[in-house]
Amino acid sequence: MAEDLVLDTAIRDWVLIPLSVVMVLIGILRYFVSKLMRSSPSPDAKIVKEGQVIIRARSLKAGANFIPLRSFRTRRLYFSNEENGLLHVPKGQGTNPQAQMFSDPNMAMDMMKKNLSMIIPQTLTFAWVNFFFSGFVAAKIPFPLTQRFRSMLQNGIDLSTVDVSYVSSRSWYFLNLFGLRGLFSLILGDENAIDDTQRMMQMGGFGFDASKSLGAEKDGLDIIQHDWALPRFEQRAESVLRKLVK
Amino acid sequence: MVTKTEETELNQLENQVENGGGGVWEYLCLVRKLKVRRSELVLKHGLSILNDPGKRSALGPDEWTLYEQVAIAAMDCQSLAVAQNCIKVLQKKFPESKRVGKIEALLLEAKGMWEEAEKAYSILLEDNPLDQVIHKRKVAMAKAQGKPSLAIEHLNKYLEVFMADHDAWRELAEIYVSLQMYKQAAFCYEELILSQPTLPLYHLAYAEVLYTIGGHENLIAARKYYASTIDLTGGKSTRALLGICLCGSAIAQLSKGRNKEDKDMAAPELQSLAATALEKEYKQKAPAKLNLLSSALRSLKL
Repeated sequence: MAEDLVLDTAIRDWVLIPLSVVMVLIGILRYFVSKLMRSSPSPDAKIVKEGQVIIRARSLKAGANFIPLRSFRTRRLYFSNEENGLLHVPKGQGTNPQAQMFSDPNMAMDMMKKNLSMIIPQTLTFAWVNFFFSGFVAAKIPFPLTQRFRSMLQNGIDLSTVDVSYVSSRSWYFLNLFGLRGLFSLILGDENAIDDTQRMMQMGGFGFDASKSLGAEKDGLDIIQHDWALPRFEQRAESVLRKLVK
Repeated sequence: MVTKTEETELNQLENQVENGGGGVWEYLCLVRKLKVRRSELVLKHGLSILNDPGKRSALGPDEWTLYEQVAIAAMDCQSLAVAQNCIKVLQKKFPESKRVGKIEALLLEAKGMWEEAEKAYSILLEDNPLDQVIHKRKVAMAKAQGKPSLAIEHLNKYLEVFMADHDAWRELAEIYVSLQMYKQAAFCYEELILSQPTLPLYHLAYAEVLYTIGGHENLIAARKYYASTIDLTGGKSTRALLGICLCGSAIAQLSKGRNKEDKDMAAPELQSLAATALEKEYKQKAPAKLNLLSSALRSLKL
């Protein structure tokens, strides 16, 4: 292109690099702050037990053919009878996770802490970027892009004539915000990297409904046909031994 | 579970450490990671690091982990004085820590001060009623004091919540067997088979319990589980082979008076094959004892 924009090197020194450095530093700082604020979760006995019941019911479902019929029947009765079976959830008692969240102040507190450590620094940095660096063209990517990328790369500049491969400072901020995860997992260790994008997704479908999965396990158990696998094993053992003796 | 590669790595490091080739800290870390029991080596080499101020401070914050590891290893080796010293250091560094509290209670237990240990554990449980380690320690304590029925009680209470913990089921099964409560043991082994259906060990143990309970139905089921053990081990399990022979003769004896039609043998040759396989194995591995085996098999009328 003939009329290439020439970017001032001062923009590189005073906008592009400081912005990236600040983003990294804030990420690290946030990691340590959230580490300080994290309260060790004290699991509720009921939730732990429900999880264990589900595991055991699943293994019963998977291994049903390995135990005699009578043992299987007693176990199934134990899990799914209508009076006090472990998997039986009385109607109306299934707790709504939303309601549970509000009734348990600890849970709400936890959520709030998580959100605080996420939202506050983000709004602050965004305001800071907006205030100091709005309207800059901060960088140019070395390949051409289609018009559709304009809203992604040139957030904050309302000029339709600028080539799309130029990146505005506010867009550079967003790119850093979402793109630095790999760097964080290098610096802070794999599982420590705070992942904003994932966290945002979690916000939507929060919580799992134990009563639902209990009910599903119960239905699964109810429809199992028990077919004892052991009689077949005698024939298999015979063929194994026959091979061995030969 | 320790995999094969981890085991070779561990053995290599162990050799290296034993011959003074360095890598002590790596070895200790690996022992901790794999949760294997190498108490004597841990005690010896861990102390060599702890007694050397230069090496100790080079560890940084891992120093305290090492103190903990050495303390537990020392208790395992009955070097209670060493353990006491380690715990004292830890106490000084982390005065309010629950984790140190657990080791202290462990020390009380190692000294045989059961009541004090019990008290310490129940205080710790008040803070965190779902601490699996403490519940298991209580079971171990009941067992160490020779009170299996108390151990059973604790285990049942534990399993009420943590019912997917198959190690606990196994422990319970073994205690029941030691008390000759075979029906309960059979239930536990069924649970274990459910959790890991392809492990021949549990099939074998279940078969043995069923055989011991006796009765026509149980004997037939026992033979089936012995058969599955043979299938799962590829015929390598001498115990299961012998079990097949025993079951066969016991069933034959029981059904002697009755009419023969209820003999529901899916595999009629299984017994004789098992006997032949046994004889072959003895011939290969212990020819001196072949006579014993054949006379035993003869007495079973095979």
